Amino acid sequence: MRPTGSLFKGRSVWKGPHIVPLPIVRPKPGEWVKPIKTQARSATILPNFVGLKFAVHNGKVYNEVTITEDMVGHKLGEFSTTRKPFIWGRGK
Amino acid sequence: MVFIMSVNFHPRKLVKKTLETFYGLGAQTSARIMAKYSIHPLARLETVPPKTITSLTAELSTMTIDNDARRLVQDNIQRLRDMGTYRGRRHAMGLPVRGQKTRNQIVTARKLNILERGGGDRPMGS
Repeated sequence: MRPTGSLFKGRSVWKGPHIVPLPIVRPKPGEWVKPIKTQARSATILPNFVGLKFAVHNGKVYNEVTITEDMVGHKLGEFSTTRKPFIWGRGK
Repeated sequence: MVFIMSVNFHPRKLVKKTLETFYGLGAQTSARIMAKYSIHPLARLETVPPKTITSLTAELSTMTIDNDARRLVQDNIQRLRDMGTYRGRRHAMGLPVRGQKTRNQIVTARKLNILERGGGDRPMGS
């Protein structure tokens, strides 16, 4: 019924997906490109991101995320954890 | 002994409760099915004619219930886990998934937020 339904995930249709302008560089085949460094954790992953590499900020460091087809419709921040598990005796 | 979907039920069991033993089939759906085959809400299996039992089985086999429904939920959780999302990780840890506090009162999450949600498969013929 709604072909773009996977992009919204409960968001109003009239708003559309949350699109953030990102400096996306299309890599030529066989060429290594630096991952796209971004702090836009709330950016929706669009179908044209598939195969790109992002470095998503978690508040401290940039975690590398390679976008696969399943990830379309999720947010970039879901793949870059912001929490450190508490381990007793690790100190600090 | 009454067989519905090759599962054995006691004849004194309520039809409503019988239908609700299948995972993914709740009060509302069972009431609708019973209304469709004009079974009284408090009827027991022994009062239902065998022909209706056969059509009940036919009806249930077209629905996504029991092991199929369980598989559906588990596949969705496993997909989140495989993608490496925060939600998938929280499921694997058995902690609240939607940003609740975890200082206390997370019993429901411990019970439900697991990779094998809904328990294992129903053994055949039980």
